Amino acid sequence: MAARSTSAASADVPVAGTSLWKDAFRRLRRNRLAVFGFVVVCIIVLASAVGPFIIEHTTGFTYDYIPTDPALVTSLPPFTAPDGSFSWVHPMGTDDAGRDILARVLLGGRISLMVGVISTLVSLVIGLAVGATAGYVGGKVDEAIMRAVDVLYSIPYMMVVIVLLAFFGGRSPIGQLVLLFVALGAVSWLTMARIVRGQVMSLKAQEFVLAARATGVPASKIILRHLVPNALGPVVVYATLTIPSVMLLESFLSFLGLGVQAPLASWGSLAADGIQNLAVFPWQLICPGLTMAVTLFSLNFLGDGLRDALDPQMRKG
Amino acid sequence: MGRFILRRLIVIGPMLLVVVSLTWGLIRLAPGNFYSGEKKLPAAIEKNIREKYGLDKPWYVQYGRMLANTVRGDFGESLKYPGTSVNSILAATLPVSATLGVLAYLLALVVGVTAGTIAALRQNSTADYASMAAAMLGISMPNFVLGPTLVLLFALTWYWLPPARWEGFSTHLILPVLTLSAVYMAYIARLTRSGMLEVLRSNYIRTARAKGLSEREVVVRHALRGGLLPVVSFSGPALAFLISGTVVVERIFALPGLGNYFINANLNRDEPLIIGIVAFMSIAVLVFNLIVDVAYAFFDPRIRY
Amino acid sequence: MRHKAGHRALAACRALAATLALAMAAACTSGSADSPYFGKVSPPAGQEMRYISGSEPESLDPPVSSSQPDARIMMALFDGLTEYDPKTGQPIPALATTWEANDDNSVFTFHLRDAKWSDGAPITADDFVYSIRRGLSPALASRTAYMAYDISNAQAYNEGAVFARDRVSGAWVMDPVNTAVRLALPGDEATRTKALSAPALAFARDKEYVPVRPEDVGVDAVDAHTLRFRLRQPVPFVPKLVSHQFFRAVPRQAVERYGDQWTRPGKIVVSGAFIIDVWRPYDVLILKRNPSYYDAGMVRLDTLIFYPVEDLTTMMNLYKAGEVYATFNHTVPSSWVGQVKRYKDYMDAPELATESFVFNTTKGPTMDVRVRHALNMAIDKEALARFRRTVKPTTSSVPLNMFPGYPSPQGDPFDPARAKALLVEAGFRDASGQYDPSRFPATEMEIAYNTSESNRSTAEFIQAQWKQNLGITVSLRNMEFRTFLQTRSRLEYRGIARSGWIGDYMDPFTFLSLYVVEGGDNGSGWSDERFVALLNRANRQHDPNERYRLLAEAEKLLLDAQPTLPLYNNATNYLKKPFVKGMWANPVTMHAWKFVYIEHDPAKWDQVD
Repeated sequence: MAARSTSAASADVPVAGTSLWKDAFRRLRRNRLAVFGFVVVCIIVLASAVGPFIIEHTTGFTYDYIPTDPALVTSLPPFTAPDGSFSWVHPMGTDDAGRDILARVLLGGRISLMVGVISTLVSLVIGLAVGATAGYVGGKVDEAIMRAVDVLYSIPYMMVVIVLLAFFGGRSPIGQLVLLFVALGAVSWLTMARIVRGQVMSLKAQEFVLAARATGVPASKIILRHLVPNALGPVVVYATLTIPSVMLLESFLSFLGLGVQAPLASWGSLAADGIQNLAVFPWQLICPGLTMAVTLFSLNFLGDGLRDALDPQMRKG
Repeated sequence: MGRFILRRLIVIGPMLLVVVSLTWGLIRLAPGNFYSGEKKLPAAIEKNIREKYGLDKPWYVQYGRMLANTVRGDFGESLKYPGTSVNSILAATLPVSATLGVLAYLLALVVGVTAGTIAALRQNSTADYASMAAAMLGISMPNFVLGPTLVLLFALTWYWLPPARWEGFSTHLILPVLTLSAVYMAYIARLTRSGMLEVLRSNYIRTARAKGLSEREVVVRHALRGGLLPVVSFSGPALAFLISGTVVVERIFALPGLGNYFINANLNRDEPLIIGIVAFMSIAVLVFNLIVDVAYAFFDPRIRY
Repeated sequence: MRHKAGHRALAACRALAATLALAMAAACTSGSADSPYFGKVSPPAGQEMRYISGSEPESLDPPVSSSQPDARIMMALFDGLTEYDPKTGQPIPALATTWEANDDNSVFTFHLRDAKWSDGAPITADDFVYSIRRGLSPALASRTAYMAYDISNAQAYNEGAVFARDRVSGAWVMDPVNTAVRLALPGDEATRTKALSAPALAFARDKEYVPVRPEDVGVDAVDAHTLRFRLRQPVPFVPKLVSHQFFRAVPRQAVERYGDQWTRPGKIVVSGAFIIDVWRPYDVLILKRNPSYYDAGMVRLDTLIFYPVEDLTTMMNLYKAGEVYATFNHTVPSSWVGQVKRYKDYMDAPELATESFVFNTTKGPTMDVRVRHALNMAIDKEALARFRRTVKPTTSSVPLNMFPGYPSPQGDPFDPARAKALLVEAGFRDASGQYDPSRFPATEMEIAYNTSESNRSTAEFIQAQWKQNLGITVSLRNMEFRTFLQTRSRLEYRGIARSGWIGDYMDPFTFLSLYVVEGGDNGSGWSDERFVALLNRANRQHDPNERYRLLAEAEKLLLDAQPTLPLYNNATNYLKKPFVKGMWANPVTMHAWKFVYIEHDPAKWDQVD
């Protein structure tokens, strides 16, 4: 019995696998909006990666360069020289300390994109595993897992971060970054798990799952091959929603001493600083804010395209 | 179903104790004290304070006292605000946070579900893209940006609405509720849309359409029930968080809610206040998640407990 | 089909983004550029003052709260023996009309006026005696009790100590260091036995040990209107000290009746110009005038409202919309200053406060005094002050020009060349003896600071200065406040930590005493007996000029050892509507509310009062 089911699995997984992803990719390519989103995301990733070097070599500005001339230690509007005339030097203006905002936004992009993508992946993996298990197995296991999730919801997150920092903080920049991902991932998988569980519970009562179960397909395979792909729609959508929320959470964590250390900045922390000066120097908010919004919009189009592409129902139709 | 609800209600007690115990442990691990200040206190004063608040007792005595307080539902006196009981703080701030949270959630639900449903029904239309773009804007615009922007426009440029403060049910509520609900509105709209898309293609909807039901009936009576499942999952924790206060909105609008107290209690290491608020929050989370699980059975009759 | 939909979606996004940007731009430019005032100016119909007081009051019981925002509110509720002059912050008569000191500044006598509590009971010297004993009692556990430690036996009582008495003669054992006071030993028997085992205390063994009683504290009511302080050592600045909230009298009748609930509306009894009417925590605190106040005829305001608001932008918004008429200190965000300064609303004055860094003198490269001097000399403080906008550069620890007649010593000037020379001397040089920044262990250093926008900008600026002037990059590390405090006081930070101090009273000693180890630790691990001896000698002087000269000498010693890196002297800054009169910018931002009033005649708004 056991032998037969494993051989059956190994026989058709590669075939199903290739067709699923190949299919999805083909459909994704046809979705112009998704392709557009993909291109914009690529441009921003590329700009964040190499932009700071280019700026340093063309205008000499880095994210932490504070001009030595006191007259320049002031916030200039975009495309403006200190004398008020047009200038290409600071396309996004400068901040209170006279630092080039473009350089800071591009560098912030590195942090924010990394934080957004890695933490979302962490939350996706944990949330899927926990939620699918709870929803599929049900009964006592479900009960235990979901009550544990409830407990984790109720623990004051701020205290957790303060304690984490007290024990592991301040050692090295890399350690700090890992700590950041742990802290962000730890909080964002909880709702994900609940959503996956809800989907799986509803799906497992559907005909195709009942049929698979009746024919003796093992639970792990039912979860991976039938339940997860079918539950993926809302999950992908929720994941695209998680990216902005972890990016913003990161700026809150920097308040506690986690997150990036000044003079480095992330989009979230740039926006948080900018908002203070909204009525005085609006470009300090608009420039990082718009960059972030454009990125999130594009990521979202890409996510929607992925959702459509992965949708098993659409594959049939 | 009755037995299921009863079982879940019984389990709330022990879970509450687990939550407060873990929280208590965290507070003890956290560096710093509620009495520390810019200038270090003389040792004698520190000793007086520790004696006054029983911090000189062994840990199990302090832990036992905290548990006993939790069981009695009387969390004692705040450390940061001497002479003020935690219960009185909860009683004063809860109505504010709850009013704000419930209003924001209702607004988010109405707007989000409507927009999400329309978007799903007219997939890839202008209405779909416009509402989803608006939703994405809502999500990618953090409330610490949205709030001040709304204030700048409505309160400081056009002088239509008050910029901050709490005056009960009044125009003071409009901006904070809008700010608070924007993100939830956007989440609900997007979750509704994807849930509905999923359901609209399922067999039972096809059957309903085949039966000749009007589109309206199909959507309202059949599709919405299934399509709202992800929204229901999302609502439990969302409501619990909304009601227990949101510090950003409370700070921007200077509202006397629970969220601000809670953040400050954490930063001040105000143990009784933290425990009190956490106990309240965990009950809210457990109750709302129970409601959500019951609601699952309503929204999807195939789910059994 | 897809293609078209895509374009429509993009158009929608673009439209949304554009609307947003336009709306914000519109909002930003629509300031009333021609008005001399910031935001809406519409005085209330009556005499009602609305003030933003900062964080929610911790407690309105004078010795219980240690916060400055609370002290500002207490100014309305409880009069001190002396008050802060509303213009200069120097002591002026309040409940005490006159006072005098003995020859060596160790006994002070205050003469009280005829005044009544709000319940009609007279305010007597006994009330002050009761209040100070209560403030010092270990059971109350006041955090500001150290303010009164210079009163005879006050510290001993607060510590729960015991005196030693000869079993036969009944004579008290006196303190061998200061023979004017009795020797205080630990109250706890085990600790005491251990302390007595030291040979230096052999003379105090086998005595009768008597707990210090509240009556032992050196505060006496000579008669109903005469209060006398006996001090353990000369303290010339007692009249300045007693303005502090710790020394304000509390109503014994209300405290004994209501316990820790006595400050609640309906229960509170006050000595000041106002009394609590409504108190809704985190929302509002409304005071009304106290008809029993001795100077009630002087008081103009009918209602005084305090709003607890914590967010700076929210304060600015409430102020601009005309919902509040003034804000507390440091409420104008530094980037706003440039815009707001031109309005007549902007109030500023030199502040009794100083901002600095401390060096960890117990480990790392900052153990070397040459490194500490070099780091100090490599900061252009003029540039820093220009960048921070409201502050004044300083090289000294005691705020400059705050205390007339105090000869402030100068610290190192800005001199990158000498800084490098010092680092060369300290061993950071290459084979040819030239300065080599790569030899400097910059990775063993950091600038630790507690989270705040202004701490961060200052740290970023200094990081850039050291990078440009010394070629070294020191990383920054921000921490949540209480984590930071613990890290700093345990000397767990690497190299440099932020430090700031708001003076407790108008005297240089409040700044210098930070570096007396006994008075509280300063986070640097530095201490020097010569420094302490100089301070003690200074306080014994009766001639104020000679005292200042000795204090300045002590400060010079401090600056030479450089456990601290003075950065700038803060300035107070806040906003006040033109119709609010009788409220001046002073170094402590303590406002005597009884002088404040609303001027309804616009013609008088710009007159100096």
